[in-house]
Amino acid sequence: MIAYAANLATLVAIFCILAATLNFIIGFAGIFSVAHAVFFGLGAYAGAQVALLLVPDALLACIVAAIVAGGLSLCLALPALRVRGEYFVAASLGLQMMATTLFAEAKAFTGGIGGLVAIPRPTLFGIEVGVLPLALVALALILFLTARLQHGAFGRSLQSIRDAESAAEALGKNVAAAKTLAVAFACAGAGIGGALFALHLSFVNVESFTMDQSVLIMAMVIIGGTGTLWGPVIGAIILLALPSGLAFLPFIPATEVGAVQQIIYGLAMTLLMVFRPAGLVGDLSKGRATA
Amino acid sequence: MLFLQLLLQGIQTGALYALTAAGFALIFGATRIFHFAHGTSFTLAGYAFLFCWNAGIPWWAGALAGIVAATLFGLAMERFVYRPIQRHEGSFFTVFVAAFGVAVVVQNLIGMFAGRGFAAVDTSLSRATEVLPDVFLAPIFWIAIAVAVVLFAALSAFLTRTHAGVALRALAQNPDLLRAYGLSSNRLSMLAFALGSAMAAPAAVLTAMTTGLNEAIGHHVMLISIAATIVGGVGSLRGAALAGLMLGVAESVALQFVDTQWAEAVSFLVLFAFIIFRPSGIFGVAQTR
Repeated sequence: MIAYAANLATLVAIFCILAATLNFIIGFAGIFSVAHAVFFGLGAYAGAQVALLLVPDALLACIVAAIVAGGLSLCLALPALRVRGEYFVAASLGLQMMATTLFAEAKAFTGGIGGLVAIPRPTLFGIEVGVLPLALVALALILFLTARLQHGAFGRSLQSIRDAESAAEALGKNVAAAKTLAVAFACAGAGIGGALFALHLSFVNVESFTMDQSVLIMAMVIIGGTGTLWGPVIGAIILLALPSGLAFLPFIPATEVGAVQQIIYGLAMTLLMVFRPAGLVGDLSKGRATA
Repeated sequence: MLFLQLLLQGIQTGALYALTAAGFALIFGATRIFHFAHGTSFTLAGYAFLFCWNAGIPWWAGALAGIVAATLFGLAMERFVYRPIQRHEGSFFTVFVAAFGVAVVVQNLIGMFAGRGFAAVDTSLSRATEVLPDVFLAPIFWIAIAVAVVLFAALSAFLTRTHAGVALRALAQNPDLLRAYGLSSNRLSMLAFALGSAMAAPAAVLTAMTTGLNEAIGHHVMLISIAATIVGGVGSLRGAALAGLMLGVAESVALQFVDTQWAEAVSFLVLFAFIIFRPSGIFGVAQTR
């Protein structure tokens, strides 16, 4: 039971990292990406390769994962600089679908459909550690940074760009640099989440980085409330508790739990948008930003 | 002869893409609603047809059921999702997420009740015969092209010759002025949704007869529709149809060099290139927003 709880807590912490970083680009930068699982995956594969080929040092794995995911986030930043809103969603949708194929085919880096197996247990400076404390530290760090950025000059520039891009540009804000930085920060964070995920499960394959996963992360952010600090955390906890909760309902066959879960959060997304667009934690007095 | 075979195959796929994309472009152009559940209309139409076929109902009734399913779904989305959202604010983000939620729900419901994985109907129409040395064509090739040509001719006649069609184009250009002239933008918006969704149904039926459907095909359809709308130039039906055809041909011809699983990547690369180098598309004017 303790092992079960620890496992669930680790996954919750990792998904909180993912939701918090996605929230950073959606809520603060107004860049609507449906490709977050791509960077989660890049980080997971990079972290797994570090552990398999070099040393299973958690810190090194996280740093490499952050560099790989953050570096390749230019794939996302480039179209985001050229077009807004609708068009960018299409680009990120395409990126997600192409990356799934890439993950399944690039066997040298990802192990193909079979994935990477037998990833060694993580160590920190030579001592074996659990993933849970690492994930909690990483999450705390990311939330702290988000909170600092939210009220700092960079965060305010970002929010001004989100709300009125032309006006921000006219006031001398460097729109391209701010967006690129925001995307790089968020994707690097997703990469760290990926590395921790790989070290935790000691197995990764393409199944974890598909469109469905991106949608799940997006649902966490939206249900919790975009642009808030704690919304994504609450969204992640609710949505991860859902399958465990559903497993206790005897009338749902075990094979359909995944589908029922997706139906519930799909419905929740639609209903929230119709009746309460700011999300559960969102501030109702402020209207949502028009992306 | 492989090239010719792939080109013809691409034209067949492209004709179906063109129909679906034009439906999306019609809705988006007239109402400015980013109808992300358009792929769901396609999926529902395809599965309605499959269901009728397996129940032994004649093909024309099945196709009709597909069209009805797609149209009703489009209308329901307009009435129960988009209109309430637009009443309070209706940013792109809100509309997109709401539509996405519905798409996820329907995809999983279909997966639960109709089963997961590819399903297709097998007809004599989809059996290929050799028409030229080493070039194989099924009768469905001609059907797909005929359906696309007839529907596009009918649509352009409707948009230029009838009052409702002209009003629809006016709605795309200036909704406020349209209301000032006493026309109901709500009713026109429902018309756009009904027509646009119905356009996806024939493509879905023909897809069910050729490559087959799965419950997640909506994402692919959506990617193609949005890509075609952007590549063709937003606001241009002709552009969307042409771009749809082009994407189908590009995906197919690329198979000469890469394996089938990369077909989607080809569409994406075309879209990516257009977003970076020519965001306004082939026929588009410079975007103001």
